[in-house]
Amino acid sequence: MNDCERMEDSIGPWLDGELSAAESELVRAHVTACARCGEARLRLETIDRALSSVLVAEAPKIEFASFWRELQQRIEQKTPWHKRLLERASDWTSAPTAAWAVPVLIAVLIAVLSYESYFPIRRSRNNFATVESIDSHGRNVALLREDESKTTVIWLYQNQEGDDEAAEETPPAGPAF
Amino acid sequence: MELSDWDLVQKCQSGDMSAFQELVSRYHQKVYMVILGLLRNREDALEVSQETFLRAYRKIGGFKGGSSFYTWIYRIGVNLAIDAQRRQKRNPLEFRDTMDTVLESQNEVARDPFAEVHDRELRENLVKAINDLTPEHKAVIVLRTIEGLSYKDIGAILGCSEGTVMSRLHYARKKLHDKLRSFL
Repeated sequence: MNDCERMEDSIGPWLDGELSAAESELVRAHVTACARCGEARLRLETIDRALSSVLVAEAPKIEFASFWRELQQRIEQKTPWHKRLLERASDWTSAPTAAWAVPVLIAVLIAVLSYESYFPIRRSRNNFATVESIDSHGRNVALLREDESKTTVIWLYQNQEGDDEAAEETPPAGPAF
Repeated sequence: MELSDWDLVQKCQSGDMSAFQELVSRYHQKVYMVILGLLRNREDALEVSQETFLRAYRKIGGFKGGSSFYTWIYRIGVNLAIDAQRRQKRNPLEFRDTMDTVLESQNEVARDPFAEVHDRELRENLVKAINDLTPEHKAVIVLRTIEGLSYKDIGAILGCSEGTVMSRLHYARKKLHDKLRSFL
């Protein structure tokens, strides 16, 4: 970043009177000597003037008596409870008070997600283990799962002769009619 | 001798309605101008200004004087205006008529016709460029331009640091400059 780029960032605060005396002097000296920054200053002043004429000059004068009369009526009017609740909610959620809402939301989310690990929810759990088995060409894999202790036992075994289901299904030898 | 804002607030807190009336008379125009700057619609701005003072009336019992009264009332108004702006579906005010009125009141219509056209176009485009800013960027521009508030006060109103105000102002002015490049 060269001198001019750095100075351009400071011209706005300088025109707004937000710089210290030493910083102001530095910017003033540079803007006076540098054509590019001098033009940047003129552009900013033109924008500020135009802004002022649009935002200030366009605003109509509000007559106090009618403003106050209407306000008084609203003050005396009983506000329904649901509107008050909405007002309070909007006060809580509006900037800058909404700043607390983000960490609270994150904390609640984490608490909900980790709740089950600290306080296991007893859904349809019981103390029985379930057994699943997969049979593949005479070699079996049995899985024994137990919910409560979250234990899984894997049991590999081979079919003994005569245990083979396929053998049972084999039609008996001999003439079939 | 004129009472200070804080004296009036304390009177309000002890139930003095005329003290609140005095505070409203001091700030209603300024609050309205800031809200109009944000909402760009006169009826909506008037409605939100009324709501601002209504809320202030209800909450004044809890105002401890940690900030100045005007910072506090602007904070209520700006927050309500930003909320309203996000909900706002209605078309913004037609500014052509408004600008004619402004120019006539400044006796500029009879001046150099080229300058007049240039001025008019600049202002019309400026209004469009302001409307394109986010509510937060618009708020710093409006508070700075209308009230000439310091970065510290703007930060107190918007609930952000002076550094954030400075960078938002820088960004907003740059955006406005980029959109108005052909007029500057």
